[in-house]
Amino acid sequence: MTAQRIDLPQGTLDLLILRTLGLQPQHGWAISERIQQISSDVLRVQQGSLYPALHRLERRGWIKARWGTSDNNRRAKYYELTKSGRRQLEAEKVAWDKLTAAVAQVLGTA
Amino acid sequence: MLRDLWFRVRALLRRRSVETELDEELRFHLERQVEKCEQGGLSRGEAQRRASVEFGGLELAKEECRDARGLRLLENLFQDVRYGMRVLRKSPGFTTVAILTLALGIAANTTIFSVVNAFLLRKPPVRDPDRVMVVSSVNPAKDAYAPDRTPVSALDFLDWQAQSHSFSAMAAADFEDFTLSGGLAPQRVAGARVSSSFFQIMGVAPARGQAFLPEENEWGHDHSVVLSDELWKERFGGDSQILGRLIKVNGQNYNVVGIMPGTFHLWDFEAQLWVPLTFSSDDLRPRSRSSRLLRVFARLKPGMDERRSAAEMQTIAQRLAQEHKDTNEAWGASVKSLQRYSTADSNSETATTFLMAAVGFVLLIACTNLANLMLARNSARHREFTIRSALGAGRFRLARQLFTECLLLSFGGGALGALGAFWGVRALRVQFNWNEYAQAMAKEVYVDGRALFFTLAVSLGAGILFGLVPTIQIARRSASDGLKEGGRGTTAGPERQRLQRMLVVGQLALSLFLLVGAGLFVEGFLEEIRASVGFNSHHLLTATVWPRDLKYLDSQRQRQFFENVLQHLTNLPGVQSAAGATDLPYNFPGDVSFTVEGHPGTKPDDQPKCAWFAVSPGYLETLQVPLLQGREFTPSDTADVPPVAIVNKAFAKSFFGGENPIGRHIRLDLDDHKENSWSEVVGIVGNVKEFLGQVKPRPQIFVPFAAHPSQLMRFIVRTRTEPTSLSDSLRHAVWAVDPDQAVTEIRTMDRVIEDSASGDNLMAEMMGGFALLALVMASIGIFGVLSYLVEQRTQEMGIRLALGAEPAGLLRFVIRKGMAIVGVGTGIGVLFSLALPKLVAASFDNFRFHSLWVLAPAPIVVLTVGLAACYVPARRAMRVDPMVALRYE
Repeated sequence: MTAQRIDLPQGTLDLLILRTLGLQPQHGWAISERIQQISSDVLRVQQGSLYPALHRLERRGWIKARWGTSDNNRRAKYYELTKSGRRQLEAEKVAWDKLTAAVAQVLGTA
Repeated sequence: MLRDLWFRVRALLRRRSVETELDEELRFHLERQVEKCEQGGLSRGEAQRRASVEFGGLELAKEECRDARGLRLLENLFQDVRYGMRVLRKSPGFTTVAILTLALGIAANTTIFSVVNAFLLRKPPVRDPDRVMVVSSVNPAKDAYAPDRTPVSALDFLDWQAQSHSFSAMAAADFEDFTLSGGLAPQRVAGARVSSSFFQIMGVAPARGQAFLPEENEWGHDHSVVLSDELWKERFGGDSQILGRLIKVNGQNYNVVGIMPGTFHLWDFEAQLWVPLTFSSDDLRPRSRSSRLLRVFARLKPGMDERRSAAEMQTIAQRLAQEHKDTNEAWGASVKSLQRYSTADSNSETATTFLMAAVGFVLLIACTNLANLMLARNSARHREFTIRSALGAGRFRLARQLFTECLLLSFGGGALGALGAFWGVRALRVQFNWNEYAQAMAKEVYVDGRALFFTLAVSLGAGILFGLVPTIQIARRSASDGLKEGGRGTTAGPERQRLQRMLVVGQLALSLFLLVGAGLFVEGFLEEIRASVGFNSHHLLTATVWPRDLKYLDSQRQRQFFENVLQHLTNLPGVQSAAGATDLPYNFPGDVSFTVEGHPGTKPDDQPKCAWFAVSPGYLETLQVPLLQGREFTPSDTADVPPVAIVNKAFAKSFFGGENPIGRHIRLDLDDHKENSWSEVVGIVGNVKEFLGQVKPRPQIFVPFAAHPSQLMRFIVRTRTEPTSLSDSLRHAVWAVDPDQAVTEIRTMDRVIEDSASGDNLMAEMMGGFALLALVMASIGIFGVLSYLVEQRTQEMGIRLALGAEPAGLLRFVIRKGMAIVGVGTGIGVLFSLALPKLVAASFDNFRFHSLWVLAPAPIVVLTVGLAACYVPARRAMRVDPMVALRYE
């Protein structure tokens, strides 16, 4: 464990899930693995909170679920982005960039 | 939003599979995590432990997933409904009373709404109903009935048709009765002679065959007939081969060219058959412009509206009034849509409004009862609510649970009420029987989609109404209150008692109001029934024969037919005597203008008018009208001898003053006796009423039928047995003379009198019925509240008795409590009711208000019923056994 893990700021989990699913359809476990991997193990997703988020996103119509077969030949629930999910991802990315830039600016000038 | 709801609903419907999917999804995750840890070198047991720690609480995650899917809200609703059903099932007595009360109120509302729907709301079944207009003459006379809906003369119609530009087509129709003969027994049916464009204007084509061609409106080509679906099915057995066949209409052969669809009903213009309209040269004489008999229909041109077309018609009418002063002076024209024309009859509109208000009040009382019952139950379920809120149920949740129960009850009542309305409508339709017009209206009264939607809305409204008070009461009460109050048989909080009392006061006031309202209608009707009719109306059977064949245009033939039928009737076994006349008492007889000898001739407009009857010699004897002076007609009073007449007492009094009218002369202005023919008055008879609701006796003139024959004949027989048992023999006596004549309106005289009320009695019966229902419900209300009060105070009563209180004192105490409520309710009700007689009198043209005494019975009834409702619980209080009461609970 090289770096210290940090908990996700409120509201960013949705963005991360959408971003992860933007690459390819995934099942829940793979999503959490993927987030940790890409963030070089810095971000820790509380696994228990991943699934409620997935179900919430599904209800909003940003992702949809379908049952498929996993790499080890098991039945797994795969999630993929819908058209409106892709739009939402773009919108949230823009908002996030603005936010981080603004925060960085504040921190830089202070 | 919609998708969100759908997602929730689907989640709810597929709850089980959603649950297993969730299980499977999470299990998959955990297994992968375990595998991952195992690959990292941990033992299987350690890997499992590690995975589950990393995951966190599994059940919590599941719960959050369910929340995320939005299951909670709907699931709670389901829970509430299930729980509510269980609670209601557990107290079947309460549930039955509640649902039955509501069902009664809702059934009454839906039934009356169906009437309103039929007469005021439903559009006539024609294409673009708002564009079909009825064009009428406007009668300038002050006393004319519905002056702006006066029929039109043939010449006016032709001028209107030629000169107007607002309409794409204009058609005239002459509504009259036709006699169908041949095959089955002769039958008289309502029908119309119509212009060929009539069906086109209505936008309804025959379901079979075709409508009339324009050339069929010419003399000699007009023997075609279009049948209604009903007539086709009933008289011709729905024979599909009937097109092109000949049937006998008014004794002549008509070719069946079309059959209208079953949906084509215009209740204001009821017709079972249509034949082409032709104008005779007589119709087209300049003088005939004053003979207004036609109804005119027109379809608006695209872009034209009712107002503009009315303005154009008015201009045309004014021009015609200028050109034809003697017939058209001051006459105008009006344009009304088909629906507006039919609903313009103010009395039926006010009547339905009053009925709707009455049933609305009944439902309001039912709701009050339920609110009271719920309040009482609330405190009975006190412990339940307290425990539930102690266990963590929010106040809002408790209130919602209670509200769900209320809605369950109201929808239960609504469903049962809708069923009741089907029955109610059927019962009501049978009552619409006072004339053919009413019978045509009755067909339009049925429960349709709109009525069912109304039922749904009313049930929801009722549920909210009676659920509101108890629900708010629960929501406002905190848990600690619950523990303080009502733990052991003490009395309910003062707030709830006040609420309940207020509700009962409202109920009583409302039922009193209704009782007074009903009293106003019933009283007027009772007055009528008590009033003397002027003859012996019992054991009389009457019938109408109206030979329409051309051969009966001859007055000699009319007389022959009339006398032959009378001969047959007199010889019938069971008949005491028989008579004939052109009109019956209580059947709105026609008027005639006349001149009295010795009185200076006045302008034709100012001539006096009175009812007249052409009667057979046996008329007075058969009806048992008292002959006060002079003689009755004899068979020798014919057209060949000097004319004679009999007048009634009212006539003698108004036109001869104190002098003896016998031997004096009067002249009747009948169409066929224009020449100077003075009739000698030979007799005076008692006054006979002409319609139900008549206040003052009207002058009447009787002349011999033999001297004034007509096509329209009424026959009256005095029977020795039950009159209707002779119906068949009466028919056959007519057919023995001419088998092609329809015998219609076979009614007992008592029935004729009843029918002449034109539904006023039905109105009185319904108002009375609803008021009674309201009173019963209100008394159940007060009974319930007082019983509850006594039950709650059982312990207190026991202690009082044990300490030596007089049982009679307790009785007085409870009754005093109850009667205070009854008194306040009655007082408020009386106050409001004072405005009622004026309101009713202002709304109904023919309403007569006799005296303030009609208000008196209602408060007495309410006070008496209230006292009875107090007495039962009060007696129970008196009989409380102190020992039992103290051991109570």
